Amino acid sequence: MTQQQSVYLDYAAATPVDERVLAAMQPYFCDRFYNPSSPYAPSVQVRRDVEDARHRIAQTIGVKPADVILTAGATESINLAMTAVGDGEIITSTIEHPAVLESAKQYSHTLIDVSSTGLIDVDDIVRTITPNTQLVSIGLANNELGTIQPVRRIADAIQRERDRRSQVGESRPLWLHTDASQGVGQLDMTVSRLGVDLLTLNSAKCYGPKQVGLLWRAPGVQLRPIIHGGGQEAGVRSGTENVPGVIGFATALEIAARTRNSETKRLQELRDTLQRHIESGIDIAEINGHQKKRLAGHLHVSVPGIDAERFVFMLESVGVYVATGSACAANHGTRSHVLEAVGMSAQQADGSLRLTLGRHTDDAAIEYAAEQIIIAVQSERDRIGL
Amino acid sequence: MTKVFVGMSGGVDSSVTASLLVEHGYDVVGVYMKNWSQDLPGMKCPWAEDLADAKRVAVQLGIDFRVFDFENKYREKVVQYMIDEYRAGRTPNPDIMCNQEVKFKLFLDTALEQGADMIATGHYARTRDGELLRAHDENKDQTYFLYRVTSDALRQTIFPLGDYTKDEVREMASKRKLFTATKKESMGVCFVGQVGMREFLSQYVETKPGNIVDKQSGDIVGRHDGAIFYTLGQRHGLDVGGGLPYYVVGKDMDANVVYVSRDLNSQEIWRDKIELESIHWISKPVVDKVQVRTRHRAPLVEATLDATTLHLARSERAVTPGQSAVLYDGERCLGGGIVLH
Repeated sequence: MTQQQSVYLDYAAATPVDERVLAAMQPYFCDRFYNPSSPYAPSVQVRRDVEDARHRIAQTIGVKPADVILTAGATESINLAMTAVGDGEIITSTIEHPAVLESAKQYSHTLIDVSSTGLIDVDDIVRTITPNTQLVSIGLANNELGTIQPVRRIADAIQRERDRRSQVGESRPLWLHTDASQGVGQLDMTVSRLGVDLLTLNSAKCYGPKQVGLLWRAPGVQLRPIIHGGGQEAGVRSGTENVPGVIGFATALEIAARTRNSETKRLQELRDTLQRHIESGIDIAEINGHQKKRLAGHLHVSVPGIDAERFVFMLESVGVYVATGSACAANHGTRSHVLEAVGMSAQQADGSLRLTLGRHTDDAAIEYAAEQIIIAVQSERDRIGL
Repeated sequence: MTKVFVGMSGGVDSSVTASLLVEHGYDVVGVYMKNWSQDLPGMKCPWAEDLADAKRVAVQLGIDFRVFDFENKYREKVVQYMIDEYRAGRTPNPDIMCNQEVKFKLFLDTALEQGADMIATGHYARTRDGELLRAHDENKDQTYFLYRVTSDALRQTIFPLGDYTKDEVREMASKRKLFTATKKESMGVCFVGQVGMREFLSQYVETKPGNIVDKQSGDIVGRHDGAIFYTLGQRHGLDVGGGLPYYVVGKDMDANVVYVSRDLNSQEIWRDKIELESIHWISKPVVDKVQVRTRHRAPLVEATLDATTLHLARSERAVTPGQSAVLYDGERCLGGGIVLH
């Protein structure tokens, strides 16, 4: 057997750590290992480096460093964000990541439906808000379909509700949280433009190390700590800082911000090429999600009648790694709640693949992947006579 | 073309089984039997990974693949039986019950309903005209676990691995580049593993600590955390320190007492006469002289069967109530029964 090509098309699940990120982290494992809270000079230097990283992170999203809480990944960030609900209620959508849905379940909450393309209707949120609503949490871009939500318009609607409350003298605050993990490097993360009050980011989705993330919260948002201890992160998140992780995260976010425009354009062209190949090579293929309001590197496609999990195994044998959200054994045999929520038929969901492109995807990778996907579909169709 | 449904567990044996059947020109359907999916304290149930591995191999072989969900029936027929037996102070064999009730009854029936002509599994055993024959690999022979399968079921079953050794099977797997070729062997009862039985039982049976009593002297020599966890003849796991090891020689479930002895030759654990119940025959013996095996891989012992009583030519150690005595006539596995006392 000849050395086969390997094409990774699951950047939405994990991204490789960028070499520059790794290089930035390297000194902090053995040489500069000091606890940033210790009193001697090398520790003080590490403290400065951590705070410098926090500063750089804050700059990429246009906020004050003091309002950035560093966490162990996005799930923790989301769990912490949910505590902003206080004694009020949460509104979120049916297609959110399990980190949001499961956290929301800990509180009084309402789920709103989405359209067949996975888009949230701002009016649905407006209609669902009650005087008891204290937190709205909507992901900036859906991790399965890649659909980008109108977060800015949701923020405007929330501002109108706040104005109403202040006019009638209702004291309950109302906050908007977004998990923007999937959008880093492809979407504008400037908090003032997003209009949110709480923002979650994940280092592992933007070429940084895993188990590093952040929660930004606007001044005035009250959080209840979920991890107690030495009082780090302004008392909101205890535990010795993950120094190499934070340093790496800062570098990763800076690269993402710097390359965003060119990389988004490049990914979109590659994705469109892949989509064209699939549409012309597989007559029964259906493209899911919103065709315009969609992450540049995201392609969600169904081949109804075909078992997508077989596909994953067929493609892995030729070195192409893709995801399926449906009826997957790894998913304990359940269908994706997102695909169910957008009203996808079982057949369409079971035959769906998520292809997500990233920094190392190039023309050759797209050509090879498209070819192998088309071959695999054809051989499955021949086998089952579809 | 003969349509064969093959039970694929995600292990190397059933992977090679499916592969051999494809090569022999059968129309093969791979089936994962989902019998158990619950995690236990400290133990993640590997069913999802096993299912994915089985499916992966099916895809590799280009065959159809299905999942049969037998969780309810398995719980009712195998798990409940196991719990009841332990509660009664006996030591059941859930693998034997699983073969009798699930693999060679429920799986067979479901497969036939869905259009199968035959079923196949990765057991190391052979069949001929509805008879069960020992495997070519004496060390792997699994007929001990299959003696309660009916002759009718065996007529509709293929055991492609019966003529191979385990080493040969592994070699065939790696030659065919099967994904499961290097997978580690699963041990013991399929869903809890050897070490998990204690944790598993603790979930279902309330246990109380009690005394460990020396059978000869009547002295209390230690404490146990539940008589059901102890099996006749067992040495290790007894928390009584010092001197010669103790062996379990009996239990009183009502009094919650475990009896032990330091005498390896204690009459309590050596038997030359075994009373059987629930005798099942695949092939009736033509002579009254048989060979018997009282546990998997134990050496065969000459015996005669008089109605339900087995007379052994030499004494056997730790013949445990609830376990099975399986009868052979040379290479033929005739059937057997469950040890009453």
